[in-house]
Amino acid sequence: MKTLSYLFQTAVQNFLREKWINALTILTVTIGLLILSVFTVITLNMDLALKRWAKGFGIVVYLKDNITLEEMELLKGSFKKDPDIIAVNHISKDKAIEELKQIIGNSNPLLEGFEENPLPASFELKLKRESLEPSYIRSKAANIRQLTGVEDVQYGEKWLSSLNSLSQGMKIMAIILGSIIFIATAFVTYSTIKILFYRRQEEIETLKLLGATKSFIRMPFLMEGIFIGLSGGVIGLLALIGLYVFSTSKIIAFIPSMGGEMFSLHPYTYPILPLVGTIMSLTGSIFAVGRIKY
Amino acid sequence: MIQFTGVSKSFDNEYALRDVNLKIDKGEIVYITGPSGAGKTTLLKLIYMSERPDEGNIIVGGWDIDKLKQSTIPFLRRSIGIVFQDFRLLPNKTVFDNIALALRIHGIHPNEIKETVNELLGDIGLRHKANDFPQHLSGGQQQMAAIARAVVSKPMILIADEPTGNLDPDASTMIMKLFKEINLKGTTVVIATHHKDLFTGTGRKVICLRDGGIEKEVAG
Ligand SMILES: Nc1ncnc2c1ncn2[C@@H]1O[C@H](COP(=O)(O)OP(=O)(O)OP(=O)(O)O)[C@@H](O)[C@H]1O
Ligand SMILES: [Mg+2]
Repeated sequence: MKTLSYLFQTAVQNFLREKWINALTILTVTIGLLILSVFTVITLNMDLALKRWAKGFGIVVYLKDNITLEEMELLKGSFKKDPDIIAVNHISKDKAIEELKQIIGNSNPLLEGFEENPLPASFELKLKRESLEPSYIRSKAANIRQLTGVEDVQYGEKWLSSLNSLSQGMKIMAIILGSIIFIATAFVTYSTIKILFYRRQEEIETLKLLGATKSFIRMPFLMEGIFIGLSGGVIGLLALIGLYVFSTSKIIAFIPSMGGEMFSLHPYTYPILPLVGTIMSLTGSIFAVGRIKY
Repeated sequence: MIQFTGVSKSFDNEYALRDVNLKIDKGEIVYITGPSGAGKTTLLKLIYMSERPDEGNIIVGGWDIDKLKQSTIPFLRRSIGIVFQDFRLLPNKTVFDNIALALRIHGIHPNEIKETVNELLGDIGLRHKANDFPQHLSGGQQQMAAIARAVVSKPMILIADEPTGNLDPDASTMIMKLFKEINLKGTTVVIATHHKDLFTGTGRKVICLRDGGIEKEVAG
């Protein structure tokens, strides 16, 4: 324990003695982590937006004009039994025209030419969020189209699939970018610690001759790596919070309805950045110090 | 305590030591002398395993150096105090911290370290330099600090390579007295030196090296 506190002091001294190279390394780690976390926040927000929009997602099943009441009940029953469907809303021809009139006005000349109500009756189906996978919905829609009494089925196919692939792509990008930044940051710390290690070769040789154990020699360098990663993580976190507060205030001013629905930076996510920074830098330092031989 | 059997060591195909046999018993003070390049430092380095022999067998403090595991080397070295010919003081640590380092490596409590180091600094007259860095000391003072670091942990074996090279006669006498005191407490002392007056008249064992071989072994 006392040895550990001595090694800690040594690490602090070494760290301060080489403050410029260390500060530069911390800056690099900070920037790496910041890019990583901004990208993660954007990805998470995209995903959240997708899910929110998907909540209102539905399939509209237009019914044939000559559908019998029996057939309609049959359809309704099968929709209600379907585990993917959470809500079934029937819109009769009359209700459809009422809704249209409400939108375009009661005595709109557009409506006057018709003797009969031109709008079809329909079912609006709300789907479970988990079922909102484009290819699954496509096959589901195709199945419904086969049913007796169904004229047509419509849903936001293009919209759903592009949103889905966008979110998919963002996730893959985030993983690739994340790995690259992880390796790059670990490598930056690796080179710094390697340089510092070589600079102290003479000192290390003396320590070995005085009977120091490998961990006695190694520990200050690993601690220095931890300082670098931890500082980079903490500074990165502060920058991220600043950036987040700034940008959300801008976004909310721009699209007020987004407020509260944005992915938020909870305090319990705060330790992640320093932790990731520490792991990255510690990994780099372990490789930099390598095997010590007497 | 130390035993060499048929030990040879060469650098760049030239022998630094050739077929050396010697035996140093526990509690002895032994001098190793000989002209520059005779192999004194090499012999000492073989004892503390800074160099490995090309041939032959070395036993130190009961450890067969050939069979020593990597993980045991630090423990062997902790039982040896070394005064290096080139001092090897750490430039970014104060005199106090340089000496204390030997004890820190042993895992000794800071309070005890402080007491022991300060006492020793007083004994050798370096107390006023405790917080100076080695570069700010004279050659002789640096050598004193190097000696202090070697003896502070009360090692089983003390190896001193030219320990009086930079010292004035008074300081030399004081250091030799210090070595004798340590020896009386049980430490085996091996001193490499050109200074004949360090051992003449002591009656101790003197090993004379020449061109890497033992020329003769005499009583000083
Ligand atoms: N690391 C090395 N690489 C190459 N040659 C070496 C090395 N160390 C020692 N030698 C050679 O081995 C021989 C013995 O050197 P050593 O340092 O043991 O002499 P010494 O007796 O200690 O001399 P001095 O009295 O000057 O200290 C010399 O010829 C030297 O050049
Ligand atoms: Mg020498």
